[in-house]
Amino acid sequence: MQREALKPLTGRTVFTVSSPPHWHCGATIPGMMLDILLALCPAVVMAAAVFGMDAVRVMALSCATAVVVEAACCKAMKRPVSVDDYSALVTGLLFAFLLPAEAPWWLVMAGSAISIALGKMVFGGLGGHPFCPPLVGWAVCRISWKSSMDIDMSLLNADLFYPLTQLKHLGLEAISRFSYADLLLGKQLGGLGAAQTGALLLGGIYLLLRRRIRPDIPLAFLAGTFLLSLAYALSDPSFYAPPLFHLMTGSVVLGAFFLATDCSSSPMGHVPMILFGLLGGALTVIIRVYGDYPDGVPFAIMLANLATPLLDRIRPRPFGGAGRGGRAHA
Amino acid sequence: MSTLWKEFSKGLWNELPPFRLVLGLCPTLAVTKTANNGLGMGLAVIFVLTLSNMLISMVRKIIPAKVRIACFIVIAASLVVAVELLMQAYAYPLYQQLGIFVPLIVVNCIILGRAEAFASRNPVLPSIADGLGMGVGYTASLTFLGALRELFGYGTVFGAPVMWGSFKPFSFMIEAPGAFVCLGVLLAGMNFFSAWQARRKGGPDAVPAVSDCGSCGMCDMARKRG
Repeated sequence: MQREALKPLTGRTVFTVSSPPHWHCGATIPGMMLDILLALCPAVVMAAAVFGMDAVRVMALSCATAVVVEAACCKAMKRPVSVDDYSALVTGLLFAFLLPAEAPWWLVMAGSAISIALGKMVFGGLGGHPFCPPLVGWAVCRISWKSSMDIDMSLLNADLFYPLTQLKHLGLEAISRFSYADLLLGKQLGGLGAAQTGALLLGGIYLLLRRRIRPDIPLAFLAGTFLLSLAYALSDPSFYAPPLFHLMTGSVVLGAFFLATDCSSSPMGHVPMILFGLLGGALTVIIRVYGDYPDGVPFAIMLANLATPLLDRIRPRPFGGAGRGGRAHA
Repeated sequence: MSTLWKEFSKGLWNELPPFRLVLGLCPTLAVTKTANNGLGMGLAVIFVLTLSNMLISMVRKIIPAKVRIACFIVIAASLVVAVELLMQAYAYPLYQQLGIFVPLIVVNCIILGRAEAFASRNPVLPSIADGLGMGVGYTASLTFLGALRELFGYGTVFGAPVMWGSFKPFSFMIEAPGAFVCLGVLLAGMNFFSAWQARRKGGPDAVPAVSDCGSCGMCDMARKRG
């Protein structure tokens, strides 16, 4: 907050001038980002445990690139360098979470740089981006270098399987090998962090308890995924996967708690947030069932992000404002 | 002669059609997957634009104001059909690449824009110069954008490989979103350049002339009617 003290000639402060808000709860951007990083820690540890040093390499490279690119963008745009608020670190880490552990170094660096430059800094930095930045990087990489982003192809020598491609190409019998406990503990292929369902859930609950995110979007997102996949499963249980399977695979948990809740690309207000979450969750299932992509979460969240300005029009009526029927000034 | 040069050269930078006037964006985004496509499309537009400007300028005194748009479209459409037939005859592979966007030159904003804003109120020679300049500017822009996208998307320029051996094509650039991103970055770059130029001249930061009055005759028309 900006405070200016008017000092008379005697040197004693007599009158302090500051712009509102005058009351501040003490929450800061670095504080929030550090909390998110802390919430991501269990998933980082699990990713390192399951995928080994490859995962560590991808995460470190992505974070470092994100920070350097943000600093370079700030310099080029002649703005105060804002990397000390850790938001670039969070973006880099989240982008790494979406990648397969064997991703080549140039892919990691290019995607991370695109996430920051094209996803965030082009729109004026933190708070201005209409899409969740890591998803922009992911989408560009996915369109450009399909084979390097393909989770099955990149981890051919692993003895784990990617549940969603198994479901898509081999049908329902193929996924019977996954027990829910395995899926929860991250014994599945996927984005290197996105597959750590249990650890991410832990982090998400931590963020909820710390009140860094409001429960509306994550719960609505999970509910949307659950309800629509339940509807499909009920319509033909022998063909569609059970709803819990959908919740625990791909990047649904990562998306619900960490990507969809991105502050500037998600709506405010309870009703818009719930609609936003439901939309994202439902689109995820629709893309998984009908689409070409095994995991629909990134594109579903980006599409829901597009609806954010529209959803933000649902807002409380100002006190003393016009009635429901007409406009005050029209 | 100097006025002719003025009319010709304004299309090359100050009123560069896709990047300054931001007109004719549909083909600009759609056909510039490669430099060749951009060049071919640009040449077709030069042909149509120059001739339509010339014809419209010739008959401008006898076109009734109320049906002028219809007349412009008839002239442009006849020329586009000619271009289409010529391309089918002499450049069939290019015609197949450009597809629907050749017939769509009829409704290209630049053709109608120049007819309305310039050719319908100026003598023949300046109109030809204007059409030629705009067309050349359009061609240069499309070729540049196409070369840029081809360079990153395929690693080639005009079909010749220029990137290093292990280069992985950045396919994003040849998809539709890549076209929008490329255009946005180019526009930003041009605005930055203009602002920098204005600063160097010592003046205040010029407002980027994205929509100049030159492209649209609406104020003039409104004044006449009013």
